[in-house]
Amino acid sequence: MRLKRKIRRKLKRKREPKLIEIYERRFIEALKELRLPLLMLHTALTVGTLGYMLLSGGDFINSFYMTIITIGTIGYGEVVAGSDTLYGRVFTSFLALMGIGVFTTSVTVIVRLFFKEDIITLYRAIKMLKDIEQLEGHFIVCGYDKTSAWLAKTLKKRKIEFVVVENDPNALKYLQEHNIKFFITEEPHKRSVLLSAGIKRAKGMVVNLRDDARNIAVIVTARLLRPSKEDFYIYSFASTDGTAEKMEELGANKAFVPDKLLATRLSAYIFHTGSAFISDLFDRIAFGEETDIDILELKVEPGSPLVGKKLRDIDLRRSLKVTIIAIRKPEGDLNVTISGETTVEEGDTLIIFGKPKNLRRAQKVLLEETYKVLEAKDEV
Amino acid sequence: MKYKKIITDFFILMALTTNISFIVSPNPYELVITVATNLAATILKVGEGRVLSTEMLASSLVADLHLIPALFVFFMGDQVEAVGLAQGALAANIISVIISIIETVLSAFTEEEE
Repeated sequence: MRLKRKIRRKLKRKREPKLIEIYERRFIEALKELRLPLLMLHTALTVGTLGYMLLSGGDFINSFYMTIITIGTIGYGEVVAGSDTLYGRVFTSFLALMGIGVFTTSVTVIVRLFFKEDIITLYRAIKMLKDIEQLEGHFIVCGYDKTSAWLAKTLKKRKIEFVVVENDPNALKYLQEHNIKFFITEEPHKRSVLLSAGIKRAKGMVVNLRDDARNIAVIVTARLLRPSKEDFYIYSFASTDGTAEKMEELGANKAFVPDKLLATRLSAYIFHTGSAFISDLFDRIAFGEETDIDILELKVEPGSPLVGKKLRDIDLRRSLKVTIIAIRKPEGDLNVTISGETTVEEGDTLIIFGKPKNLRRAQKVLLEETYKVLEAKDEV
Repeated sequence: MKYKKIITDFFILMALTTNISFIVSPNPYELVITVATNLAATILKVGEGRVLSTEMLASSLVADLHLIPALFVFFMGDQVEAVGLAQGALAANIISVIISIIETVLSAFTEEEE
């Protein structure tokens, strides 16, 4: 009795299945449909082979061959001994009558099953989920509409990997048309779906499900899986300012109101009609469309070798080919009238302008130097 | 009583018994019947079972991969080798029956739960 209870408890304590496991199970279920036609074909072959073996006195190879050419409607002739006798011909007649139907039906059903959309789609989905398991530092885009399509285009341009989660089967066509490498056609608010999209290893997420309630459901589920706002960024869309605020309270790093965003961007052009080029340039940089030039914010950490130095002495322009255009003070003031005499202080944020490649290099070099200085201090 | 389970279990047992009978008295008919029942058991095991389905199918495939070569070896004249291969298949078939019993017991527990 105790053993029975133990086994029962063990069987009951099942963990939540992974999406890939569910798909694999569905794949096996789809393969199950092959059983009946295969069994029918198998029976016809066995009956035919055994019958001819009895007629020929145990000649297996020829009996098998004779069965195949009979039920396969090839009919090369009576190749096995005993098949040209009276009993042989009666047997061949019955085998042909039953076997030909079985053979053609089974083969048709098997071939159709293999080309059925379900099996192929499932196989592709399993393969894709396995590839997603290898991703790291990627983004998850929930919902695929025109906005997500533009976003996907930009991410692709910047070579940032992303996984699209969309449950609308109609979107599948567009996902394939737009050459989206990774996508999951499931409900994005499910825990197992987000885990399969690699949320534990992802860098961030964009929630764009065209419905505030669904957006909130996804944000909350994602935030429960990745609680830190510093490690995992969630960006969402909201229909009103109030909802946007709620979303930010519930876990989104930033919630955008699309109409408002569009109006703000348009008004920027109206306000700067005289300087269209420069406002367009800043606009494109801010929105990540300008890939030749970029802006980077670099915080001067305690222990950085930059602390106390004048900009003239640092001379990032010559050494790293980037320009400091402004300095933001810890209290939030932006100093745009900097000169060579300006001194960098602890906690300042340097606004650096330059080519993306040089900016990345500058960030790396400055961070490494800070680390070196801190290490040297520790040793002392 | 489940109709499907009767057929599957019938073929699993039949695969074992015909396998033994071929080893005891090797003759071409026994061998063909053994191969046929084993293949039928394999086809029926696709997707069958809930707890140990993978193990069930794998053990059956092992038996098939012993018996099909045995068939060709036997009709090429090497009886001793064919019997050897059939003995290998016997081991796989015994494991198959054991797994089937375990599967039945375990599914009885889960059914009670539901």
